[in-house]
Amino acid sequence: MTVFKALPAGDHLPALVAVLLASVLACVALFYFLHRTLGPRGRRRLTMAVTFLAGLYLGLEYFLPVREAVLWPTRLPNTHPSPANLLTPGIEPFSVWLTVAGAFTVGLGIYSLFQFHGRNVLRRTRGWPYGLSFFIATFAMFTFTIWDHSLTKAGLAPEAMPWPRAVYEFLFTGIYVPLQAATFSLLAFYIASAAYRAFRIQTAEASVMMVAAFIVMLGQVPIGSWLTSTLPTSGPLAFFHLEALGEWVMRWLNTPAQRAITLGIAVGALAMSLRIWLSLERGTFFSER
Amino acid sequence: MGGLEHANSFIRVLFSSMCIIIVVSVLLAQRGREMFIRRIPGLTAIEEAVGRATEMGRPIFFSPGLAGIGITTLQALAILAHIVRLAAARATRIITAINVSSVYPIAEETVREAYDSVGRSADYRPDDVRFVSEEQFAYALGSVGIMAREQTATNFLFGQFYAEALILTENGRALGSLQVAGCPDPVQIPFFIATCDYVVIGDEFYAASAYLTREPTLMGSLVGQDIVKALLLLLIIAGLVIVTLFPGHPGLTGLIRPDFLSALLGKG
Repeated sequence: MTVFKALPAGDHLPALVAVLLASVLACVALFYFLHRTLGPRGRRRLTMAVTFLAGLYLGLEYFLPVREAVLWPTRLPNTHPSPANLLTPGIEPFSVWLTVAGAFTVGLGIYSLFQFHGRNVLRRTRGWPYGLSFFIATFAMFTFTIWDHSLTKAGLAPEAMPWPRAVYEFLFTGIYVPLQAATFSLLAFYIASAAYRAFRIQTAEASVMMVAAFIVMLGQVPIGSWLTSTLPTSGPLAFFHLEALGEWVMRWLNTPAQRAITLGIAVGALAMSLRIWLSLERGTFFSER
Repeated sequence: MGGLEHANSFIRVLFSSMCIIIVVSVLLAQRGREMFIRRIPGLTAIEEAVGRATEMGRPIFFSPGLAGIGITTLQALAILAHIVRLAAARATRIITAINVSSVYPIAEETVREAYDSVGRSADYRPDDVRFVSEEQFAYALGSVGIMAREQTATNFLFGQFYAEALILTENGRALGSLQVAGCPDPVQIPFFIATCDYVVIGDEFYAASAYLTREPTLMGSLVGQDIVKALLLLLIIAGLVIVTLFPGHPGLTGLIRPDFLSALLGKG
């Protein structure tokens, strides 16, 4: 971070590339050294130490009392004073490290895909055309996205070289977006079929669900209001208007249940976080083996 | 850059108390105190579901959801480790579909270690931990494709799911797979209940590793979190009684405000 900030503004691409390469090489050397020198026990202890220190830092940052709202140093333009304590300025570099680590794993993901589909295509295993379509789609999208982006960056008008943009538009707006929309729209049918099964009156629980769903759904649509429109709008019978009844089910039955589940989840997450932080989750991530 | 969240005095006291209770429970369990956990059908069904795949001679599908590295995904991977150990011991294949690239290396390592732990390292196939896509629906359809092509006997879905949950489970159901799901998100739980054979609800999700391994440390943590829940319930009831009996009383209603300790200490 400091190195990047130290780089003067302007076109210093070679310097940036050199810094990036040096950083990557330093990281590779460090991990190689750790891998060669630390045994399984040493690696486990290092993981535990890093986990503990990272958790301690973030925990202390949250719990330590904050000073008055201040402008703390940040990479992005920061004009809003925020409450901060001694550790707050370190949060941003911390999140940047996470982003960088995440960016490296994208490469791993792509490598996994290439390896899996490449093997399928080369060996002509069952379903290999899917692998081939993966390669075609990836290379087409990659090529035309970069091409279009570089033309835009070079300041060329779309009319100067129209077909790379046209192909990109076709791939993105003509194929990718409709495919996503089509997949999303499938949910309407899946919800209907799942609801049909869930609401079939076979057990007492399913009957309760059916009645509750019936009230809530009718309470949301005009026909529900119409069905109970003859009831008085004030007095005890007003409660039986379907829209009021639906709201009552949502507010007084559904919300408490949801909150109870959320409370349990929050406590469960806290316990799990403690187990991870203190490396107590043995048998999974901190195996004694 | 917006303002960051920081704890106030009430949260500091509450969190510290909760952490202390959980850690003390863990220490008591480690010293051999007997702990009881009620039966959780969704988790008990895991062994049955793995057994079904073994009997049918077909693979198992596992999805750790769409979240990145965080508590939910780590818990999902802990469950994955247990399922892989069960499956590996029965020589049953398990295919894990990954959505977030940062989860991929951890899942791969988790699965490899699980195979090692039951002495079945030779059965581990790197291709069975697959990165499918970072895109939600591409991941859903890719996973459905795996279920269909591999004819999975059992589908496990543990982790954070969103709209793709129904696409996965409805197709899994159509393919005749037995499905066990667990999600900490209350919004997705109804969809799983409607489409899966067994569902792990709410905090049962975080109880999974303790329930499955019966490890004293984890059991202690589980009992600790139950004590914390009971205390929070008492706090809620106390607040309810106070606001009901003394509506508008500034001294008592102030107690349930999050910053009541600050106010009490004269800092509010």
